[in-house]
Parts: sequence; C-alpha cells; structure tokens
Amino acid sequence: MQETIERLRSQAEADIQSVQDRTELEEYRVTYLARKGRIAALFDQLKSVAPDQRPAFGKTLNELRSRVQSLLDERAARFAAGPVVRESIDPTLPGRGLFVGSSHPLIQTLEEIKGIFVGMGFSLADGPELEDDYHNFGALNFPPDHPARDMQDTFFVGKDALLRTHTSPVQIRVMENHPPPVRAIMPGKVYRNEAVNARSYCMFHQVEGLCVDRGVTFSDLKGTLISFIKQFYGSSLKYRFRPTFFPFTEPSADIYITCFICGGKGCRLCKQSGWLEILGCGMVHPNVFRSVGYDPERFTGYAFGMGIERIAILRYGIDDIRLFFENDVRFLEQF
Amino acid sequence: MRVLQSWLKEYLKFSIPPEELVERLTMLGLEFESVDRLGEKFRGFVVGHVLDCARHPNADRLSVCSVHVGKETLQIVCGAPNVAAGQKVAVGLIGAVVPRRMHDPAGTPLVLSPIAIRGVDSRGMICSEAELDLGPESGGIMVLEPKARAGQPLAVYLGLDDVAYDVEVTPNRPDWLSHMGVAREIAVLTGRKPALPRVRLREGKTPVTSFLKVRVADRVNCPRFAARVIRGVTIAPSPAWLQTRLRNAGFRPRNNVVDITNYVMLECGQPMHAFDHAMLRGGTIIIRQATEGTRFTTLDGREHSLPAGTVMVCDAEREVSVAGVMGGANSEISEGTVDIVLESAYWKPASIRKTAKALGIVSDASQRFERGADPQGVRYALDRAAGLVLELAGGTLLRGVIDVYPKKIHERVIRMRPSRANLVLGTSLSVREMIALLALLDVRPVRRTGKTLAFRIPAYRVDLLEEIDLIEEIARVHGYDRIDSKTSAAIDVSHPLEKEDPAARVRSQLVGMGFREAVTNSMQDEARSVAPGITPVRVLNPLSKEMAVMRSSLVPGLLQVIALNQSRGTPDLRLFEIGHVFRVDPDAPTRLVGDYAEEERAAVILTGARHPRHWDSVSPTVDLYDLRGVVDGLLEALGLDNSRFIPYPTSDGLIETPLGVELHGGYAGLMGPVSPGMASRYGVEGDVFAAEFLLSALRPGGRKPYVPLPRFPKVRRDVAFTFDRNIAAGNVENEIRRAGGELLVGVGVFDVYQGKGLPEGKKSLAFALELMSLERTLTDPEIDAVVGGIVRHIEQKFGAVLRGA
Repeated sequence: MQETIERLRSQAEADIQSVQDRTELEEYRVTYLARKGRIAALFDQLKSVAPDQRPAFGKTLNELRSRVQSLLDERAARFAAGPVVRESIDPTLPGRGLFVGSSHPLIQTLEEIKGIFVGMGFSLADGPELEDDYHNFGALNFPPDHPARDMQDTFFVGKDALLRTHTSPVQIRVMENHPPPVRAIMPGKVYRNEAVNARSYCMFHQVEGLCVDRGVTFSDLKGTLISFIKQFYGSSLKYRFRPTFFPFTEPSADIYITCFICGGKGCRLCKQSGWLEILGCGMVHPNVFRSVGYDPERFTGYAFGMGIERIAILRYGIDDIRLFFENDVRFLEQF
Repeated sequence: MRVLQSWLKEYLKFSIPPEELVERLTMLGLEFESVDRLGEKFRGFVVGHVLDCARHPNADRLSVCSVHVGKETLQIVCGAPNVAAGQKVAVGLIGAVVPRRMHDPAGTPLVLSPIAIRGVDSRGMICSEAELDLGPESGGIMVLEPKARAGQPLAVYLGLDDVAYDVEVTPNRPDWLSHMGVAREIAVLTGRKPALPRVRLREGKTPVTSFLKVRVADRVNCPRFAARVIRGVTIAPSPAWLQTRLRNAGFRPRNNVVDITNYVMLECGQPMHAFDHAMLRGGTIIIRQATEGTRFTTLDGREHSLPAGTVMVCDAEREVSVAGVMGGANSEISEGTVDIVLESAYWKPASIRKTAKALGIVSDASQRFERGADPQGVRYALDRAAGLVLELAGGTLLRGVIDVYPKKIHERVIRMRPSRANLVLGTSLSVREMIALLALLDVRPVRRTGKTLAFRIPAYRVDLLEEIDLIEEIARVHGYDRIDSKTSAAIDVSHPLEKEDPAARVRSQLVGMGFREAVTNSMQDEARSVAPGITPVRVLNPLSKEMAVMRSSLVPGLLQVIALNQSRGTPDLRLFEIGHVFRVDPDAPTRLVGDYAEEERAAVILTGARHPRHWDSVSPTVDLYDLRGVVDGLLEALGLDNSRFIPYPTSDGLIETPLGVELHGGYAGLMGPVSPGMASRYGVEGDVFAAEFLLSALRPGGRKPYVPLPRFPKVRRDVAFTFDRNIAAGNVENEIRRAGGELLVGVGVFDVYQGKGLPEGKKSLAFALELMSLERTLTDPEIDAVVGGIVRHIEQKFGAVLRGA
C-alpha cells in the first residue's frame, strides 16, 4: 500500500509538468481528484488494510490528496483565462525534435586514423603547440641556418618560441620522457606562415607516429603503413613508397596511393600523375636519437606523419579548406 | 629547376621516353612538377619556300602562292600583304591545328582542311607570329631566316623540338640543380657514366696576376675564390642556340658573357659571376665583410643597407658584389665592356643563407650556394666559362688562373657496415650488391677494415655525411618497392603512455547532448579577443591583424562562429570546441616553453531557442539553467560527482557574473552568460551562455565500486519553506544535507514559487527528501525525527518558515 501511494505521488508530480492548457488541467483533475479518480480509488482500498494500520495510511492518503490539489492550484494560476482549442491527433505531423550534435569532420577523420593505430598497438601522446626552436627544429636534425628550415614557414612568438610547424616535436618530447620502446601516435594542430586561400590555410592538423625498439626496420615501417592504408582507404588500392627528404628521418619516403577520383588515369586533383601523396615517413635519423639520449646503435625506429585536412578534403571532395575553420552549421551537419 | 632533354643528352646518351624517365626518376627521389613537350603545338607545321606568288584572279588582296615544303609543292592562298616569292615561311599543312584563329575574337584553334578561296584551291596556310602564338599581331606573315631548310619541322627550326622537365629539388640535393646533376641520376638507370665537355684553353702571354690582384680577407666564409681575366671581348647577343637553350630553361638571354655564366651554372651547378674589369678600382678584388649600414645597389636595381658581417666582393675602394648572392650595379657587364673578370668561388653555405635572408634576395646563385656547391667544381666551371667566352665573345685569355684555396677541401670518406644496412632496412643484401649499388652513384670503396667498408664520396654529394646516408642511398638505388614489408608488430601492453584521449569522453557526451563541434583558428585579433588581465601571446610575424595573438580562451572564437551562423540564418546554436589556449604567465605551473602557459580546454556555448522549432509551440530562448543543465549532465556522465559551484562577484570580461566550478576541491572552469559587451564586439545577437573547463579537470573519475541495490524501500517526504528571495537554493540544499545525516540519501528542489499568495520579497522553495536505510525499513518516528531536525535547522539557519505543514 505504501509503495502504491508513493508511485502515484511520483506520477502525479510528473504528469503536472506536461499540463499545457486548461483542457489538460481538467483532465488531470479528473484523473486524480474526481470522485472516481485514482486517489479516491485508493481510499476505497483502505477497507482491505488491517484496522491498526488504517489511520497511518489514511493520513498519508490525505497528504497525497492535498499535495495534488496544491499542484493543481499552482498550475492553474499560471494559465491566463481563455478557451484553448486542442487539435486532433495527426500522426503525419512532425514530432518534437531534439538538437542533433556532431563532431567536427576533421576530428572524425582524426579519430578514425587514431582508432586504426591504437588497434595496432600504438599509444597516444600530446605536446604543446607553442614550441621552442630546439624541439621543433634543432633536435629534429635541422641544422641552424640550413635551407631545410625554409621547407616550413614559421610563425614566431618570441626569441626562442614559435608555433610548431609540425607534430614531430612531440616525438622528441615523448622520447625525452620515456625510455624505449615507444610506439605512439601524436595528433595535433600545427601552424605555417602561408597565405590563406582555398587550398592552403595557416593552421592545420597532423597525426605523427613513432615506433622505436630494438630491430625495427624499414620493412616494419612498410608493413605497418601498408596495413594502415588498407584499413583506411580500402584493401584494393595501389600504393607506392617513393624516396624523399626529411631532416629527421633517413631513409625517408613519401607514400602515394592511386588517385581515387580518376583511378590513376590522371586528373586535376592528382595533377595528371594518377597518384596522390598521403603520408611522409622514414627511419628515425640517428641524430634525433642522439639528441634525446637514445643509443642509435641499440635502437632503431620509424616515424611518419600525415595531414588531416588533406585527407578529409580528398575523402569528402571539399573544395575549400577554409570551410573547416568557418564552422557554418550547414557544413558541420553534413558529416 | 627546369631541365631540357636535349641538354641532358650532351652529357649522357639515353633513349628512355619522357613518361618512363619521369616515372623512374620519381622512384629515385626526384619530384617532377610537369613535363612540357615544347614543340607539341607545332606538329604539322613546316618551313616552306615560296617559289612563286601571283595575284588571285578574283580578289585583289589575296595572293596565290606555290610553296615548296620539302617533298612536294603546294598551292596556298594567302591574304598577307608582305608575302613574296623567295621567302622562307611557316606553313601549316592540312590537318595541322593553328593555335589562334585570327578572325575569331576568342582566338579559338583552327583545324586546317583543303578549301577553295574565291574559286582557287588552297592546301595549307602560311601563318603569322600571332596565329602561332609566338608574338603579337604584326600585320603580316612570319618571315623566317633565308637559310631555313624547306620541309624542316617548324619546331626544329624554332629550337622547340625539346622536352622540358620541371624538377622540384629537395634542399639536401643541390647537385640536382644542374643538368649534369640530373644526368648523373639518369646514369643510375642506364649504368653509363656521364661526362662534362673537355675544355682546352689557349692562354695569352700576359700573366693574369699582372692585371688583377685578389686578396681573401674572410677565409672562413670564402674557402675558395678563383678568377680569370679575358681582355678585348665583344659584348653582343648570344648565338641562337644559346639563347634558345636558356629561354627553354626559363632564363632570359642578356648578352654573351652573362648568358655564358648562366649556361655554365645550369650545366654543372657552379654559379658564376662576371665583372667589368674597368669598373674594379685598383684592379683589385678583396673578399671581406661589410661594415654595418653600408649602402649597396644590386644589379636588380634594389638598394640595400648591408647588415654587419655581410660577405662582399670588393675592389680597392668599395663593394662590387654581394658574395654568392647577387652582383652589384656598379660593376656589371655592359655593351661597352672590353675586359672581363670571371669569378668562380665556393662560399660557406650558412653565410650565404644568412645574407640572402637578411637582404630578402632569392637568386639562382644563393639557392645553390646555401645548399652547398661543389668546392672541387670551381676550377672546371671557370675554365669552361672562359672557353665559351673566347669562342662566343672573342678576346685574349690572360695566362694562368688565380685560385685562392688555402685549405683544400678533401673528398669525404664514410665508413659503413653492410650488416648495419641490412639491420636498418630489413633486407639481406650482400656486400657485393651494396658495393654495386653505390658504384652507380660513383661512391666507391677505398678500404675494408674487418666488417666495415670505407667509401669515398664525390665532392658534389654534400648530403652524404655518415653511415645512415649511405644506407639510404642503397635503399634508394635498390628500390623501396623491392624491400619486403613486414607486419609482425608485437603489441606492448605494459606501455606507460595512454590509450585514451581525455577529450574523447567529453566530446562524445557533448555530441550526444546535441552539440556541434567547432574547430576555430587559434590565432585571433588582439583588440576583440583578449580579456582584461591576460597578457596574450603575440605572433611576431602575423599574417594579418585578425591573427595577431594566440587565443587565451575558446569563447571568442566560438562567438565568431555564432555571429557567422546568425548572419547565415542559423540562430539556434549549441556548439563546443576542445583545444589549446595560451597566455604569457611566468608563474603558471603548466609552462613547457619560456614564460608561456598553454593548456587544453573544452568550451560549450549556446544561444537561441531551447528546443528545435516545432509547429506545436514556440520554444523559449535558452537561459542560464539550460547551461547549468548541460554542465551538470556532462559532469554526471563523466562520473565527476564532487562538484561545487561558486558565484564570482565580478566579470572576467568574457562571462558576466560567472559561476566558478570546482571539482574535487580544485578549480575546473567557469560558466555563465557571455558579457553583452563581448558578444556585441563580435556582432552576436541575443543572449549567449558559455562554460569553459580545463580539459585536465574533466578527466573522468576512476571507476567506482559497484553498490548493491538497496533491499529496503526509500521513503519520500516533501518540505516547503518560505525564504527571503536572496537565499540561494544551493546553500539551502547543502544545509539540508548537513542536517539530514546518513539516513538522508537524496535532496532535490522540485518547486520554486514567488508571487501571489506570498509576502513581498519572499519565495517558496520545496524540497523532496529521500530517506532510506540499508539495514531496515524506516519507521515513521525515525523519519519524523530526521525531517524534524532538518526543518529546525533550516528555519534557524535561514530564518525560513515551513509552509502548509
């Protein structure tokens, strides 16, 4: 009996919230307080309760009745006078909606990439976007006054402080703080002092990867990244590793995949080459190991990095990189 | 770097078709921007010899020509006034495509077919420069040199039967900035050895030293300086072959001497410079550093104020050239030049780069010197240039060469362990195979010590410095595609780094709560975005004023997003962003770099309607309780139950009357209405509510132990009090908890009322109290005692009155 009363009380309190007009208020009154209402029905059940418990339940029921009455009164006071016409139910009318959320298309792309590498045993690491020259360049084997620095136009914020131009400094910070083995990916924002237009922006995202252990070889680098490419782009895609130059890896490679717009025949997107560059990678340069205090004789490793905007642009066919940072909801809701 | 196929073939014979060459060199590491078949558009055009030219029987302005085009003679009707018998002309044969149709304003191409013009058959077209896209409209046909051979393809006559490759050169490979350098790479494919032309010089009797003195004062930055003098040259335009070469390679021909210096640079990679000897005061060259602030005009006409330490080529009195970067206007070759000094030098790369950066000059010379030229190629280039000058500009070469090279730079020798190469690459190449691969690059073993080989490195390979560089060359020449791929990644489960990104939980909760994620520019304008009391991190070289400081809060960027969406017809917005913010704060505990504090935050912002628009009702606009509900929901979802909300008396500039949020006793963030001043600066309309948290504070609480479901019923009692209006419900709730003891398991406000029926200045707060024991069913007296205690405590503490008991 006690539980029944409690349940009814909760329901009455809940129901009053949804009362929107006078008609509904009257329905509410009839449901609970009318002579054949639900509280009256409980009073009828008092007869079946043991006589010594009747006064206690009677008191509780009275409390319930006055509680419901006061709920009804307060609700009634909120309504202005006037008749309300209630529509008949038309199930073809749209329902009451909820706001729908979504994560940013760049983050979705990044999360998918992260998921693949975490599945292959990589951990996550993070580092500052505002870096010093040492972590962004020096420790990564960019000698001072070397033209390799011109590969990345830099924003400076102080004498020895800059906005990182790539996520590679996180490699340095991870290795400075952890002895080998290390197997981690490091996503984040990077900045380049480049003109803003439809194809380039002064800020973008990269995912960096690093794997260091005894006996890690260029073969492992190829195997891991081919596995990633197949998981992310599909297993039927053709790919190729091409020699290139990065100061912090050697040998270095750019990975290309068959242009998925033209299927390799050559189009505007792939500059008629039939190939799209999607990833830079290589074996960690011994000088990088030396700068973090790893012994390059004992440990080898590979590193890689890719630009998220470029991947998302290719994937969704987005024609203007600036759309990512404008955050027009009509753009965001498409992903 | 633009490389010509015909030029490459001067040094190496090869017959690889262009597409295949590009593909194979790409796989060796050269990057090609484009391949341009220069003569492509002149297919079907030949040199014609006008044998006869008569007036058209039916048109005064037209001529009927018979034109010999090699194998046959064609009848062609021509409308140009300047056509005449005996001329050599450019003829488009039937089927050729004339690049520009002159009678069409849009200039569309024209495909030639046999036609009759006013009753006379015409079997081709004699073309003008404009029609061939070779120059402006001249009012007549293009007349070729009399010695042109009839029937010769026009592209050959024009020197355009060539293929130009645009090569993107990585900064480590300056040797690729020359035809010889690219030829060496092609040699890897063909196995043949490329060679530069042999130079034989006829010197005069006068020794060069009697005419020119050279002193190198700055030996650190100028390890080698060589010069020759040629007297009595004739400055004139270069012959056609040289002009064509340079033009096809993207250089503008100037005069024979200057063109030769460029030609030699493009041939072997060594930048050259030529001085007018008459302009060198005292017949002297001195290499020294400039004094700070010296004014100097380079030959592009720009005047510079030289920074201290700029390495300069000087005469006895003044500067005449920015060493290795650009010559001076005061000593350049001109029409009247008679005696010239040819310079060929090796400069220290870092010094060239510093100077080029400081002066804002990117020249062909500086690009090569700053990456590293070949110190041993200095003398060859000098002699080669001298030979070409004698051949093309005449004059007498003075005897001997000045070559200041006090400390010879020797070829490097690098040791490499073949076992190490296989260890890094995952290959099983034999020593013999490795030696053969490196030999293709002219990298040869000089000795063997145990299991280590020592290799001699050609001086032009400035990028080969240590063992790993040779390992890379082995991989590159062997072919990356021929290295097996292995996927035996052992998974290390005992890793100290995290597998879960703390942002991921926050993100998925907010997305579930109907928020859209934004990613905004971290660079903001200073005037609008910076809150008082914050020292922002300023970008020293910003792209614009709008991106001059690093954001110190996520809120301004989100306000910008709101303004944009409002202006585009989306007024109801629920957004969030997770990202880094920055400020200058020498005391911050989160510093990693300098005095800069950087931390990751998560911000939510909402404005507009509380519910999506619906036909049934008009949604109210959001208010503070919507924001509070989001925050409460987020914290609950993250398992962060030990929270406290503390009203702050003053605005922080971004948020008006902010509420501080503490989690487990530590500061976690702020929430409240965005200050109207801030919102209006971004042109945002309506009320906006925002909360911003330290992401580190939102790290989900650890997993809590499971609590068995209670076996005894929970009892609910309601109590309502009348309070003064300024009493905060949160405080009352805290006091109820304190007075309720352990039997009170839940407290919640279920009604707030003020107005009719209550005295002025009063409000009613009704609380639902939940009581329960884990050991037994509570009896009425027990319940009454707890509730009574609570009521007394609240009445005393707040001067409240219990309602309708």
